[in-house]
Amino acid sequence: MATIAYPSPHAQAQVVARPKPKTSGLWSWLTTVDHKRIGILYGASAFMFFLIAGLEALIIRSQLVRPENSLVGDQRYNELFTMHGTTMIFLAIMPLGSAFFNYIVPLQIGARDVAFPRLNAFSYWVFLAGGLILNASWIANAVPDQGWYGYAPLTSKIFSKGANVDYWALGLQVLGIASIAASLNFIVTIINMRAPGMTMMRVPIFTWATLIVSILIVMAFPAITIGLALLSFDRFTGTDFYVAFNVAADGQIISAAGGDPLLWQHLFWVFGHPEVYILILPAFGIVSEIIPVFSRKPLFGYAVMVYAIAAIAFLGFGVWVHHMFTTGLGPTPNAVFAGSTMLIAIPTGVKILNWTATMWGGSLRFTTPMLFAVGLVSQFTIGGLSGVMHAVVPVDTQHNDSYFVVAHFHYVLFGGSIFALFGGIYYWWPKFTGRMLDERLGKLHFWLQFIGFNMAFFPMHFLGLQGMPRRYSSYGAESGWWFWNVVATVGAFLIAAGILVFLMNAARSFKDGEKAPDNPWDAPTLEWAVPSPPPVYNFREVPLVTHRDPLWIEKYGAEGHHAEQEVDVTIAGKKIGEGEAPDEEPAEQATHRLEHSDEPNIHLPNPSYYPLLAAIGIFLAAMGLLVYNPAIAIGALELPAISVLGILVMVTGIYGWSLEPAS
Amino acid sequence: MATAIEVQTAHGSGHGQADAHDHAEHPPTSTGLDHRKLLMWAFLASDCMFFGSLIATYMTYRGRSEELQMPPYPSEIFDIPYTSVSAFVLLMSSLTMVLALAAIQKGNVRGLRIWLTATALLGAVFVGGQFFEFTAFYHEGLSLQTNMFGASFYVLTGFHGAHVTIGIIWLLSLVFVSLRGGFAAKDSLTIEIAGLYWHFVDIVWIVIFTLVYLIPYEEVEGGEAVHEAGQMLSTIGGQFAAIGGLW
Repeated sequence: MATIAYPSPHAQAQVVARPKPKTSGLWSWLTTVDHKRIGILYGASAFMFFLIAGLEALIIRSQLVRPENSLVGDQRYNELFTMHGTTMIFLAIMPLGSAFFNYIVPLQIGARDVAFPRLNAFSYWVFLAGGLILNASWIANAVPDQGWYGYAPLTSKIFSKGANVDYWALGLQVLGIASIAASLNFIVTIINMRAPGMTMMRVPIFTWATLIVSILIVMAFPAITIGLALLSFDRFTGTDFYVAFNVAADGQIISAAGGDPLLWQHLFWVFGHPEVYILILPAFGIVSEIIPVFSRKPLFGYAVMVYAIAAIAFLGFGVWVHHMFTTGLGPTPNAVFAGSTMLIAIPTGVKILNWTATMWGGSLRFTTPMLFAVGLVSQFTIGGLSGVMHAVVPVDTQHNDSYFVVAHFHYVLFGGSIFALFGGIYYWWPKFTGRMLDERLGKLHFWLQFIGFNMAFFPMHFLGLQGMPRRYSSYGAESGWWFWNVVATVGAFLIAAGILVFLMNAARSFKDGEKAPDNPWDAPTLEWAVPSPPPVYNFREVPLVTHRDPLWIEKYGAEGHHAEQEVDVTIAGKKIGEGEAPDEEPAEQATHRLEHSDEPNIHLPNPSYYPLLAAIGIFLAAMGLLVYNPAIAIGALELPAISVLGILVMVTGIYGWSLEPAS
Repeated sequence: MATAIEVQTAHGSGHGQADAHDHAEHPPTSTGLDHRKLLMWAFLASDCMFFGSLIATYMTYRGRSEELQMPPYPSEIFDIPYTSVSAFVLLMSSLTMVLALAAIQKGNVRGLRIWLTATALLGAVFVGGQFFEFTAFYHEGLSLQTNMFGASFYVLTGFHGAHVTIGIIWLLSLVFVSLRGGFAAKDSLTIEIAGLYWHFVDIVWIVIFTLVYLIPYEEVEGGEAVHEAGQMLSTIGGQFAAIGGLW
């Protein structure tokens, strides 16, 4: 039995009296609530930030190309690595994941949009506001310079007098609002908006990854939000949450203040380690979609894959102290967290095994998406293995703060996340744009990036073991580190060349790319059942799902599930009739209907400018604190005027949003 | 062999086919739970972590002011009978919230307005009580910057007070909407969701009141280790509470 389009009384096309909203022009983008457009906005903004952060990395590598180099000064170097890390994590990898969540998840579960379309728009605009606040620091020449982990007491007023840390703290705070709002939305969407018949164990694995990542974000971000709030209290109001001692201007300790810098590390890593899985699990989801398609086999051990993602996420909350082995918590916490860290290698290993087993005996097609996916499997394994090494406390003590750690997390986040995200871009590009990318350029991109990546980061293992410390702007010629640094820099520029090839490929695809069919890869999930790009309402009729991999079942049938089989269709437990498989495959049905009917009058939510208004309010509220000017302060408390205005704008936005009709 | 396919409707079996058209805005959901209700539950799970992190911070610094001899100490300035009364007022507001929901479920809009207003008023009494408490503490020499107790106490209870304040604004907005004729029995879910938030904020106060006010601090030999363990335990505990909240 295949997917049959069941005309549910609720999901039926409804006649609308009002005119259709405009679908082009700037205003339509500013007020859009369509998950596909929001996905494109996320993707485009995140890619811009990715390029900026990549540029920062190139400057860092250029500085390190020879000993005692003076391309950038110490301060600028601190700013570059801080912004490179922060931008890559919060403004590139996370939102690139969000771009896929937005565009793909509603299509994969057979929904017309997310559960709260306006909240979704709000999430995007707040994310953009956070990105702008963080990067406004370049204009204000107060660029964050304390590292992406922002360790206390370096972030205290004593050691960071300027507004640098404030841009970082408030930028991340605003980004946190965006992440939590978006994740709440996706939790509800995935749990509540699956097409009829799509039980949780029929949900595509990428959607599962999205659900688990959303739960992780909702649980982990509060810790850093509170951590950053306490930091802001320290910096703006003079509390001592992370300040152990009061220090005089000449550096003499005056008295104990009572605060504990270690509290910051706990709060930060209780967030920070789940964050690592927030960055990698979407990549795992993407790869779990790509490998079966290009192996022509269903995913090996689907259920185990789901449990493995859940286990990784759960264990991910219990390993944060492995970032703090050198802080002297003592042997007991260290041993416990070393154990839990090693434990997490088990579900991760299960995933690697299942991807390999999916490919085993399959008829492999090494298209560009598949190359990137296999790139993740191989490179993440290397990063994972060095991760297990770090779980061993004495080894970690040696590796800590050395280039070995830099090598490790780039193998995980670049070799893992970025490779998979590019795989996802190549895989879903036809669905996003309706056009194919060039395979030859795609493969060139892959090989440049693959060779460049391994040249740039594998030598860092050696450098780390030779003792080269992280975050230093230069090294002496006598250190013996020069050779591998040159190799790494050449690798970085090869990566950049790969990215340029990708940009060229994308531009050519937009200009005169081959038109994409509905399902160019012969993939099994529902997003390939709709035209490329999908119509604004996604599915003309909500599909009925009877199996995992619905389009393959539809096309090829399955043992014991012949395509002609009849099914009972029930509402609330009552049988209301029997369904039969349609003759055409869903993709053809959709095209057929589009060609043979009027523009379908499907009820869609109205565009709204209130989410944007509320986001502008949040932007102003944060900026008001950063550009505080006593001349325009309000009242006895000297509240910053721009912040007060921002909060008023935000409240207006929220009320307008609540009181306008929902759809 | 026929496979059964379940097509769930918006509100489980509570709603028949007849009023399906009135509910065009609420398409059927996979679980039968309304989207907004599920959103609120997920948000509350997240909010557990917010409070969990703040409570962990308070517990980390508990007793730090005594150790460093930086008065005033909690034992000197807490007025437990006073705070008990305002805690009681807040708990009573949960009762009036339940009555508000019961009223609208029976279609009694007037009852809804009365009980919502009563809930908001009780909440306002609590926030007002907190305002006077803060003022009194300030005059006794405890400011945000005085010592670790001041910082962690004001931030934790202030965060809770902000939650109550937002709740009051929300309840009064609902009263306002009901005055414009915006509610009928079928909209009781809107009230139920506001109620979920309100009850959650009340329950959190029980935890804060117990940990901050009722359990006195005693100096322990080897206090350092105890603090580290306490800090770790409370963080882990916060997570379990939050995970429990979600599932």
